[in-house]
Amino acid sequence: MNRQTRSRTLSSLVFTIFALVAYLAFSRPTAQAAQASTATPPTPMHASALQVLQIQAEDVKLPAEFQMAMYEHVMEEVGKTRRFEHLYRDGDRDAANAPDLVTLRCTATGFKQGSAEKRQVTTVSGKTSIKVHLLFTDKDGQKLFENDVEGKVQFLGENLRATFDFGKKVAAVVRQDFAPTKSAKKS
Amino acid sequence: MQKLDRRIFLSALVLFAASAANSPRVNAQTTAPASFKVKHIIGLQAVQHNTKGLATVSKDALTFTSGPTKSDLAISGIEDVQTGVDSQRLIGGTIGTLTMVAPYGSGRFLSLFREKIDTLTIEYRDTNGGLHGAIFTLPKGQASALKAQLVAAGAKASPVPAQEAAKP
Repeated sequence: MNRQTRSRTLSSLVFTIFALVAYLAFSRPTAQAAQASTATPPTPMHASALQVLQIQAEDVKLPAEFQMAMYEHVMEEVGKTRRFEHLYRDGDRDAANAPDLVTLRCTATGFKQGSAEKRQVTTVSGKTSIKVHLLFTDKDGQKLFENDVEGKVQFLGENLRATFDFGKKVAAVVRQDFAPTKSAKKS
Repeated sequence: MQKLDRRIFLSALVLFAASAANSPRVNAQTTAPASFKVKHIIGLQAVQHNTKGLATVSKDALTFTSGPTKSDLAISGIEDVQTGVDSQRLIGGTIGTLTMVAPYGSGRFLSLFREKIDTLTIEYRDTNGGLHGAIFTLPKGQASALKAQLVAAGAKASPVPAQEAAKP
């Protein structure tokens, strides 16, 4: 084997390895995207009413003020999305009459109470975060889709601001996965 | 001699600061006011977030008043009242945020001055059965007194104030 043939073989080997690495690098996000699409609907859904159930925190020690502030912020922020004609609270008797009612169950899966003082003094530590699993079901209790969101406060604001961030994130999920309605009312 | 004077002055200052810090706590424990200075964080209908006002417990309602704004919360609809503790910056609001960009780290230095506060969370149902949560902050030591007044008026709460008092 002369020098020219050897260099050609080496260059083709290098090219093959490069092509293989490139293929692996680009194929991975596609697989992730496919996985994500199973969790959320491919096209925005239509529903006239949404009922938000009380935030559940069975495995996580979530202070009462966080639990209720999260609920109130979800109601406020989802109401602003104008995706539903009616938005019902937990226990609202009128929800039973809604024909295509979607129910949202929020379950807290993680909570870390940081420190506003640490955040303001150091900027990099003291983060407060709340991790919540969202489950959207239809009137028969069948799962429509689910999602995980994290409400957090990292720089400015007191700890309860994480609940506002959580409300915003839930509203973003609703905005993405439900089609807008012409006339939206808040119950 | 000058050193001794300075020591006496510093000792007096520390004693004065300690007594000043303790006095509101003593007052809060001994007297229960008729109305409480509170800050409404979220949850009352027709009241904006972070509104300061007065909370008064009457026979059948908790009334929040702030200037012309008035909101009543029926005692019969209250399902739970819970207290908690938190802290907030002494210099808050817009000025507090602006101090964060103050030169030479002085904003961060001001962040160290914080006051302890109580939180009061009220879980209640509206006339249609819908769940609501109202959150208030109060000066330290006053949430238990307000909770006790609500329970005395007929609000449900867990745990009741007597059980809380029995805790070490």
